[in-house]
Amino acid sequence: MTEVYRKQGSVVRWENGTLVRVTESGMAIEDGDLFRCFPEEGGRPARLAGETPALLDTALQKIERLIIMHGVAHHECDGREWRDETRRFHMSLVNGRIRALIDREEDVERIAEALARAEQNEREAPARLRLAPNVTAALLPSLVGLAPPNVELLQTAGGVDGKGNPIVEAHDHWPNWYRPSYRTRPVRMPLNLQLRCGVTAIERDRPVAVALLAPPDGLTLRVLVDEGRRAYPATVRVTRIDAVGEERTWYPYGGGSFGAEMML
Amino acid sequence: MIRFAIATRDELWLRGRLSETRLSHGEAIHDASGITASDVADDALVDASGRDIARMRELVPDDARVRLVAIASTEESAATMTIGIRGMFVVTSPEHARDDEEMLRAIVAVEPPVESMVDAIDYRGIPIVWHNGSASVLLHEAAGHPLEHAHEPIAWPSWLDVDVPLRMRRETFRDIPLLRMTRLTARQHGAPFELPAHRIDVLLVNGGFYEPLTETVTLRIAAADYQGRRLPPFEIRESRRAVAQALTGAAGDPIRYPGVVCSREGQELIVGSFAPLMITEFS
Repeated sequence: MTEVYRKQGSVVRWENGTLVRVTESGMAIEDGDLFRCFPEEGGRPARLAGETPALLDTALQKIERLIIMHGVAHHECDGREWRDETRRFHMSLVNGRIRALIDREEDVERIAEALARAEQNEREAPARLRLAPNVTAALLPSLVGLAPPNVELLQTAGGVDGKGNPIVEAHDHWPNWYRPSYRTRPVRMPLNLQLRCGVTAIERDRPVAVALLAPPDGLTLRVLVDEGRRAYPATVRVTRIDAVGEERTWYPYGGGSFGAEMML
Repeated sequence: MIRFAIATRDELWLRGRLSETRLSHGEAIHDASGITASDVADDALVDASGRDIARMRELVPDDARVRLVAIASTEESAATMTIGIRGMFVVTSPEHARDDEEMLRAIVAVEPPVESMVDAIDYRGIPIVWHNGSASVLLHEAAGHPLEHAHEPIAWPSWLDVDVPLRMRRETFRDIPLLRMTRLTARQHGAPFELPAHRIDVLLVNGGFYEPLTETVTLRIAAADYQGRRLPPFEIRESRRAVAQALTGAAGDPIRYPGVVCSREGQELIVGSFAPLMITEFS
């Protein structure tokens, strides 16, 4: 069976001081085992959505990388047509030898404030710890197939997948397709993951891991721990989950991930 | 105003069968307002990339995983073949594909131990001999990337000369050009050299990384021998100063290493890499 996919889109990206506007359109054809793709004429304009955020540069920390992107795309696949709009934010902030990764503009202030107070030396992670939603969101893709029995990891229903099919709620045998570009062969994987737990009460007095200091390595996280009076880097191995909060925020990790406060 | 145009074709061949084929083309106009890019075609570049990909197809072995990439741009052109057999790979060119494939086959012919059955080697205190030009990967991370980041110079052995031309480069018309290495050539002039009896022989490197915040070099060794047996893959992690201090000897002319695809800020570029037979010993 031959499947044809078309995408037309524009992206405006602010990357470390340079404004980049890209317009392109292309076609992908899957014919049995063979995947082909190539550009096709036609593109649609987009405009930059946001302004450059207030830059939080201090004597102690600096912005190593800042990328702000806004894109619109029109898709066609097997007679289905849809349109989407994408906004992305990525910043890495540095204090000495510590790099904090930020993928949501609203998180910048909280993380920058903790990073400015951060000690350089790694400490042992507290036994009882909260993870901020941005940290749990990055963890969820690594929990697929490994989630402890007291939590439920699932794909959240809503929107359409890379073939224009509705994204349905699912717990395994992922029925939807991920296709970040027309140049990428679509793959089945969970989209818009979330984690549910019978216990949702979060103890506010626990230290909190406010930011990732490196991408997750499986279930091992290198994080910035904020204890209030002090902040420091620590490595956390997730072996049990005590509670997951109910308020969720979407992050662009894996095929999408809803982060919620988590207690370890 | 600067105009950059590019055409790229890539193909994935699995055991002699075409599995994926891509064409990409476009141009980027860089002026005071930034970069405006679109996927318009430059026919001459599209044709040039087509000729290179056709040339490489003739060389695809029928029992391997092979990715062909042909790039023709207003700034550079490249034809590269990544040949993978049993999880190891070389990155080569049509001119060297046969020789490099033969080298890879010789390396993978030796069965590595099952990793879970063998403790990872502690390489510290054991001389490491870098074969097949593989020391160029070590120097790519320890000497090349610090130059890109304008890190302060450090002391290298007086017998070592590392030539690393830098230039603004980009992978696609969608990317912002960055100051990147184009090539790394290490040469020795009168270096001491005595092949240690007790040593690790590095044959193939699977990749490397330079962390600019800590100036740490990480190298993943894919194939190495120790006392007549193949080692499981292992990692070398050292500061760039420790790398410079660990260089104890070298011999011969620079040898082309087949395999440096350099990734920075998500942009993958080929960097030609050459180094003589070299020895390091980390303490």
